[in-house]
Amino acid sequence: MTHLGLLRAVAANSFQFSRTDAGFIAEAFEAVVSFILNLPWIALEFLQVNAKPLTQVILLPGLAFVLVFAIIAVWFERKFLARAMLRVGPYYCGKRSGLLQVFADFLKLFMKEIIVPKDMDFMFFAAMPVLVSTLPAMAMILIPFDSNWVLWDIGSLSLPMFFAIAGLAPLLPIFAGWAANNKYSYIGAFRVAYMYISAEIPLVICAAAVAIMAGSFDLLKIVEAQQGMWFAVPQFLGFAIFFLGVIIESERTPFDIPVAEVELVFGWRTEYSGILFGFTMMAEYVLFQAWTLMFITLYLGGFNGPVLLGMTTASHIFWLLAKFAALVVLIILIRCVFPRLRLDQMLNLGWRTLTPLAVLNLVFVLALKVLGVY
Amino acid sequence: MTEPIIKPDVMRISWGPQHPMSGQTRILLDVDGEKVHKIIADLGFTHRGIEKILENRSFFQGIIPIERMVMADTTNIGMGYVSAIEKALNIEVPERAKWIRSLMCEMSRINSHLYAFGLQAEATGYFPAVFLWTTVDRTILLDLFEELTGARWSYNFILPGGVHKDFPEGFQAKLIKGVEYLRRRFEDYWEAMVENAVFEARCNGLAVLKPEDAIRLGATGPVLRGSGIPMDTRKDDPYAAYPDLDFDVITEPACDVMARTKVRYREIGESLKIMEQVANEIPEGPISTKTSFFVRSKPAEVMSRVETARGELGIHMYTEAAPNPYRVKINSPTLRNMYVFERLAELDEILMADIPVVINSIDPWYLDSDR
Repeated sequence: MTHLGLLRAVAANSFQFSRTDAGFIAEAFEAVVSFILNLPWIALEFLQVNAKPLTQVILLPGLAFVLVFAIIAVWFERKFLARAMLRVGPYYCGKRSGLLQVFADFLKLFMKEIIVPKDMDFMFFAAMPVLVSTLPAMAMILIPFDSNWVLWDIGSLSLPMFFAIAGLAPLLPIFAGWAANNKYSYIGAFRVAYMYISAEIPLVICAAAVAIMAGSFDLLKIVEAQQGMWFAVPQFLGFAIFFLGVIIESERTPFDIPVAEVELVFGWRTEYSGILFGFTMMAEYVLFQAWTLMFITLYLGGFNGPVLLGMTTASHIFWLLAKFAALVVLIILIRCVFPRLRLDQMLNLGWRTLTPLAVLNLVFVLALKVLGVY
Repeated sequence: MTEPIIKPDVMRISWGPQHPMSGQTRILLDVDGEKVHKIIADLGFTHRGIEKILENRSFFQGIIPIERMVMADTTNIGMGYVSAIEKALNIEVPERAKWIRSLMCEMSRINSHLYAFGLQAEATGYFPAVFLWTTVDRTILLDLFEELTGARWSYNFILPGGVHKDFPEGFQAKLIKGVEYLRRRFEDYWEAMVENAVFEARCNGLAVLKPEDAIRLGATGPVLRGSGIPMDTRKDDPYAAYPDLDFDVITEPACDVMARTKVRYREIGESLKIMEQVANEIPEGPISTKTSFFVRSKPAEVMSRVETARGELGIHMYTEAAPNPYRVKINSPTLRNMYVFERLAELDEILMADIPVVINSIDPWYLDSDR
């Protein structure tokens, strides 16, 4: 008999009583005691049954991956940018590597006062940074790391679901900017609205082209369809557009228009302080992570790669993370090179260049499909 | 400052003094969405009464406070004040001192233009590399200054009657080495910044100031030359050794922010040329005529003009028979250019995102305008 079964038996026995029963209290007491005594076994069984999803939630697409990536990316970006600027970067915390500086900064942000401006809706204001950093992390549970390492495998709904969840993300800065009751936040929030609308449409069209080429909306099937050739090769246009889209969606230079420091102080994040500001910084990296993983899944063959040492799952995860790391370095490198675009230039780029090109890409894919090449 | 009434549907933003890019001033912007309708510069946050301080100091002591007007460009400001004193006191300056003065002025101009150039990079976006590069490369100049004068920032080196010290041993060779290094670096700046596609997209055709508007509004310095008008006090009303030196007045025909940036860039090249000439051709001779520290002037009213990095600095000095000036009036270039900046929103379409770029193309130094 399993431990859970034992518990059920105990419970079934325990609750066969009537109100007049003299042993009522004793039996109820016995049931509670047996439940508590069996708790370790119940927990163990729960872990046994749910070992894989739990590992996934805690380790890979989940909490540890998000946090470790944020820490390493912040550290790497600071060191890397410092090299480009002829500086050394963080130096004292964690000796010369400066790795502990990230933790020190987090601790500092955590202990700082959260300043609440006058006449503002505080609950609304405080909820936004938390939501904006957790939503993209939620979208990440759809990303396949291997054919049997998908946290939430919903078949052909997975690609639309990703866009549905990630598409909610720009709403939150708009609310945050509104709630902050500050002119700079307000302008930043509306810049977010303009920018995401112009960026998300070409992204969705590109994703549709990928789905057509793979013949499915299922991310796993899209990855399997790229075993022979990555979609980056036949759909080079879509690849380039989606790459720009990743930078736009994660609000990184040259498209960090909503938080433009020299123009808008810090855009929609201006009024946030303390750990709430820490959450908005975290959100930047989580968004970056979610969209980059999606980009790899759609165009760079996802987890495909040669199997190393006969461990299929491990090598698939390794290849996905390796591609991810290379892209992160590339996108951070772009930050050293380019200044920021203006909002109107960004909108021109989105509506007049990226959207027509995305449609062209879609037509090209349809032509390939009709001609039977794919 | 009384704030003018604004139109409905227009939001007034107080851009500064608490702002990452504003400096020590406040600029009121009337914006409708992203478009800026009106710019109102609210100057005077750093008024220190330098003109009044100068009335209470002897001629020599006045050099110290007046150099605090623009810390990146101290020699040019000091040059203006000292040449006013020399005109008032009728002091002759030996030839070698004039050449050393020109050298110091040009080094100071490069120092200031490098800072402006880096800020221009910073203003177009988080473009961190160039700002830090210019900051690092300024140390070359600061080392040369330290070698010559003993100070890295405020030198008080140009004194009535000449300069404080002669070149130290082997200084000319170091000058030429520094010039060669900086020339190499400027090629990097050109490639990394001026020819950067996104930088060009941001700056080309932005905030056009037509030549007639530039003259009407009283623009000066690189702003005026960026509108294609070849006006430079070093040529028009030569002082120090400039009549003997070979250099060009830089102008750009485009009249936009990019033109002003390019003017600064190319002026640095001209200044390097002058530095090289001074290192090679400086005449021998005494470096100063003896002037008493407690010198008293005769009644006089003089006006001196010098070309600082930001434009023409005018110093109008009225003296009586006393060891200190009776009244000094300073016409500072930043103040003149800030009037131009205020009008730019009416002359050309400026967006909210362009404000830091446009204001840094003026290269404001608020301590200069507020005095």
